[in-house]
Amino acid sequence: MATVTTNPVGRTRPADSPRESWSEKLGRWVFYLPLIFMVLFFAIPMAATVVFSVFERTMFWMEPGFTLFSYENFFFSARLTNFLDSMKYSLIAVAICFVLGFPIAVFVRKSIPQVAQHRVVLLFILPFMVSEIIRVFALRPVLQRNGLVNTTLQNLGLIDEPLTVLLYSHTGVVIGEVMSFLPFIVFSGFLAMEAVPKYIFEVCDDLGVGPWRRFCDVILPLAAPGIFAGSVFIFVNGLGVALLPNILGGPGAVNAGLIATQAITALDFPLAMAVSAIMMATLMTLLWIGHRLFDLTRILSPLS
Amino acid sequence: MDDYANPWLHRLKWGYLLLVVLTLMTPVFYVMYVSFNANGFGANAYDFTWEWYRLVFSDELLLGALRWTLMLAVTVTVIAVPMALLAAKHYKATRNKLFPVFLLLAPLFVPPDILGSALLVFFKNLNLSLIWLGDQLGTSIFDSWFRLSFLTAVIGLIIYTIPYSFIVILITMGRYRPEQTEAARACGANGWRAFWDIEFPQIRPGVLSACAFTVILVFNEYTRTSLLKGGFDTFTTVLISQMLNTGMSPQSYAMSAMVSFVAIALIGSIILWTLIRAETLSRVARAKAEPVMS
Repeated sequence: MATVTTNPVGRTRPADSPRESWSEKLGRWVFYLPLIFMVLFFAIPMAATVVFSVFERTMFWMEPGFTLFSYENFFFSARLTNFLDSMKYSLIAVAICFVLGFPIAVFVRKSIPQVAQHRVVLLFILPFMVSEIIRVFALRPVLQRNGLVNTTLQNLGLIDEPLTVLLYSHTGVVIGEVMSFLPFIVFSGFLAMEAVPKYIFEVCDDLGVGPWRRFCDVILPLAAPGIFAGSVFIFVNGLGVALLPNILGGPGAVNAGLIATQAITALDFPLAMAVSAIMMATLMTLLWIGHRLFDLTRILSPLS
Repeated sequence: MDDYANPWLHRLKWGYLLLVVLTLMTPVFYVMYVSFNANGFGANAYDFTWEWYRLVFSDELLLGALRWTLMLAVTVTVIAVPMALLAAKHYKATRNKLFPVFLLLAPLFVPPDILGSALLVFFKNLNLSLIWLGDQLGTSIFDSWFRLSFLTAVIGLIIYTIPYSFIVILITMGRYRPEQTEAARACGANGWRAFWDIEFPQIRPGVLSACAFTVILVFNEYTRTSLLKGGFDTFTTVLISQMLNTGMSPQSYAMSAMVSFVAIALIGSIILWTLIRAETLSRVARAKAEPVMS
């Protein structure tokens, strides 16, 4: 069994083992196993959404065919408005997350000793480790009419009437997005700041550069790939996580994820696949633009 | 202007950091607080009670769900973490890094509902075509391969958890020096022994935290599990269906508080364990280094 394989062309082997044993050959192929798995069960299903989206809808399932009915259903109805609206609010959430979260990443990299940095970042894993749905659901009692925020503000005497815009509205969805996704901008910012050496801060001090210019001209270009990855993550999840508008949103707060799950509940599978295909196209375009601009593999380069 | 010139600014930044963490945790703490209230949410009086927790543990449905969840978590961990390890080794060795990085990190960017529904339709179609193929060949052995079941849920969750394990393992691998493997190979060890005896002990913390990550992610996951599961329920799906259908009962507050307690205890003990371990290791290293130094 050990001698059936022949030496591949163009590959040099040590002199004492002229032929690869079957276990060595297997050992080389086993490293491709995760990639094969991901292609089979991730890349192919994602690409297949495009194919399934043009199938014809039947009563409970779908049958092969070619129709653009589900795209028509998406683009010429209130769904498109809702989708564009959710894009707008998702962008707002990205901006808020960046403003609140990225300074933390800079601070951790700049002012905390090297050995302690990872532990400080671990603090942000703590809320993220509690189920996202429980966290989002727990926002209801916090933001409700008689919830934590309103009672606290009323007890402090800042407001007379309880605020009702906090929940079951677009504001509620944005609050939920910021609360769920803020840790991610801290993580990606922390990884991105690896590209900014610590002496940069000293050089800037020596050259008399103010914090604002230092941020715009030095930190931002160097950390751009990580910031971009984090922002895309938050933007796409803001579009795609159905539970946020489902639990916190009011009338009109519908995003792509909710459209897809509602289509599945209504047994309109082609529509769900069309929404998925549109989301995947959005994501791929964003990632492609990002890769063109900043070379996204740079994010992982400090690790290798 | 450095931080030592103005210690108050430094403290202010620390305060801001902790405030953000605390704000993110507020809903969780609030749920824990409510879960001990005998009168439920929104009541004027607060009476401390364990009653809701007792009710959770006497519920047969929930205990069954807990068993399924644990089985799912263990299966996914056993498959996903070694695969992430293989992928990380492959990533280190290969020259064309774009393709593996794209494949392994893209699932992070795909929202749960989109991934879940795409996989759901894919599996259903795959199942139908396998049944058709079986009919043509006159066998029925393909019929239940990709019917929605434990297997499909496991596949969906592996795709979800692999990126996290991959990153965690890659971070710890960054500290390993590949010259050690070369030295081991030069001494006559084969590839597996060089990995198992030299490299693995050094990346073990990363592998263990990848396992912990995976277990907690599977435990908390709702959307993908509920779309892809067959005829069983996990802890979270029971909880969410209760929440969405009957509204929040005091019992569901107790359940979510309990899940949070377990997750926080797990993460807390991992952090403590790594801290203590790092401390012991550095003490051992110092003790070894001392005679040489003097």
